[in-house]
Amino acid sequence: MRETPKVTAQWQTEIEVRHGIGLHARPSVIFTRLAKSFPCTIEIEVNGSSIWLNGKSIVKVMGAKIRKGSLLKIRADGILAAEAIAALRELVEHNFDEGKIHGRNA
Amino acid sequence: MAEMLRLQGFATSPGMAFGQVHLAGEVEEAFTPASDCSSEHALLAKAIKDAVNALRRLAEMSGPESADIIDFQVEMLLDPEITEIIGERIDRGEGAAFAWVAALDEYIAGFAESDDEHLRARVSDINDIKNRVLAAMTGKPMADFPRGAVFVGKDIEPSRFLAHDWSAGGAIVLFKGSPASHVSMLARAKSVPMVIGTGPFTAPQEGRVLVDGDAGEVVFHPTDAEIRRAGGRIAARRRSTAKGNKACLTADGVPISLSINVNDPTELAGVDREAIAGIGLFRSEFLIASDADLVNEDRQYERYCQLLDWAGPKPVTIRLLDLGGDKPLPGHDASKAASFLGLRGIRLLLAREEILRVQARALLRAARRGNLKVMLPMVTLPAELAQTMQIFTEEAVLLHQRHIASHVPAIGMMVEVPAAALMLDTFNEAAFFSFGTNDLTQYLTAAARDDAAVASIHVYAASAVLRLMEQACGIAAAMEKPVSICGDMAGEPAFMPALLRCGLRHFSVAPTRLEAIRSKIAKLNADGTMAAER
Repeated sequence: MRETPKVTAQWQTEIEVRHGIGLHARPSVIFTRLAKSFPCTIEIEVNGSSIWLNGKSIVKVMGAKIRKGSLLKIRADGILAAEAIAALRELVEHNFDEGKIHGRNA
Repeated sequence: MAEMLRLQGFATSPGMAFGQVHLAGEVEEAFTPASDCSSEHALLAKAIKDAVNALRRLAEMSGPESADIIDFQVEMLLDPEITEIIGERIDRGEGAAFAWVAALDEYIAGFAESDDEHLRARVSDINDIKNRVLAAMTGKPMADFPRGAVFVGKDIEPSRFLAHDWSAGGAIVLFKGSPASHVSMLARAKSVPMVIGTGPFTAPQEGRVLVDGDAGEVVFHPTDAEIRRAGGRIAARRRSTAKGNKACLTADGVPISLSINVNDPTELAGVDREAIAGIGLFRSEFLIASDADLVNEDRQYERYCQLLDWAGPKPVTIRLLDLGGDKPLPGHDASKAASFLGLRGIRLLLAREEILRVQARALLRAARRGNLKVMLPMVTLPAELAQTMQIFTEEAVLLHQRHIASHVPAIGMMVEVPAAALMLDTFNEAAFFSFGTNDLTQYLTAAARDDAAVASIHVYAASAVLRLMEQACGIAAAMEKPVSICGDMAGEPAFMPALLRCGLRHFSVAPTRLEAIRSKIAKLNADGTMAAER
């Protein structure tokens, strides 16, 4: 996990997506809902494309065509950025299993 | 009467149906010219709102299995990014309907070109959103079709599937389609027979069509004889599903399939066929008493027919001869039996192709008698699966040339070698997977299962086996392949919580274990936790 120091209130992480169906349909709903529960901005980048997409938009997240083996970068900027990164990372690592992950208030 | 037209597709949801053809047209895209910008923005906003409301109503009417799909569509529609993209087009002077269709088509194109089956499968979900909003804008309702009719078309949108009343029967036939699509999944959940990939054909506009969602066969304008034959099979299936509600359910109502493991047809005598999902494992090697039996195609064929006749419409999974290891070839010196790590299972069959070919022919012939599935033992590499399938295909062609009727059954594999369990996603050709826990444990723990001195290792290493299975179940789920378990672990109530937690929903056990497993499952939730005491 690569993280910049907390003072900047900017956090970033990089994960390999191991889930067989990547971030489609159900997983993308869960991902964006979790992202939207945080006040900071959240952006994603896939396979080093240098194109950062709004991580709270299901249209953008689906359109990124993330699949198994994709390298997903997530960055957050603002209030609760560190918590957002930790929660989203955990979600992807646990293959989008909602049962194991809760929003920041749960 | 119009001429009979028979097509072969790919079955994605089992069952048989017979009904009037409903040939689906493309959604009409009638555009009114743009008036002024602000009214076009308002038109779009209202159409999206109407579409969201319609989807939410649909969600209330449909079962939990459709919630995921509707959730996804609602999230897409409520995403401000979508309004923004279309809004830009409207600002440039495009009408709301045109802007909507053009933007969505562009978005869809990115998925349609993908080489990933799961990505391509999203095309119809997004098309569905497109058509729903378009219908709201143009004031034309989404076209439903008559109850009981067979939907024939290029694709069917999930919401059209969900909005349709399937209680009168019917089926789906798609020229293209994808087994990974949401509709395939919904069709399986709702027991609507579905055949995809028939290729483009000129479908008759009317008349009746017979759909066999087990064999992937579609017959337009079937002859009377054909209808009678199918009628018998449909009736048998209805009977079995009606009675099958001795169905095994978890405490929280999730249906679990219970099948039986059989070594000899005589074991079926005391079994209530209506109380089980089918024969989950028939160990064909137990039919073989001598060298002569190995090459006696007719004798094998008769025994397989016996099983299929008994099972009626229910699936019968026959495992290819699992010889070698602790079951030496008959007539061969047992002391020289191949080791557990040597030529056994599919390895032995591929090394002794003459034996495999006899069995393949017997199975190909018997497959016409019922719902046969063939399972390969001890598969380690995808090449073994491919080679075996090749032999089945070759033998089917030879039988055809000799004018002997045959049918290629669904071919799946045992998952009992750790290498195969780890690499399950490379076995895409397999129609299904079934865990053989006895061998999986033996190979995972390096502890021979016939050596009492290491028996305790098998007990204490169960968690390692479970972890491997949980991972493999995840892979199988992503591949949307059916997965079951037929090893001894499935017959042990104590393992039931852990096996349910792995995601397993299909268990095949010895007939004598049925009741113990059924009552254990009734006390558990689908996630393996104990149901609260009432």
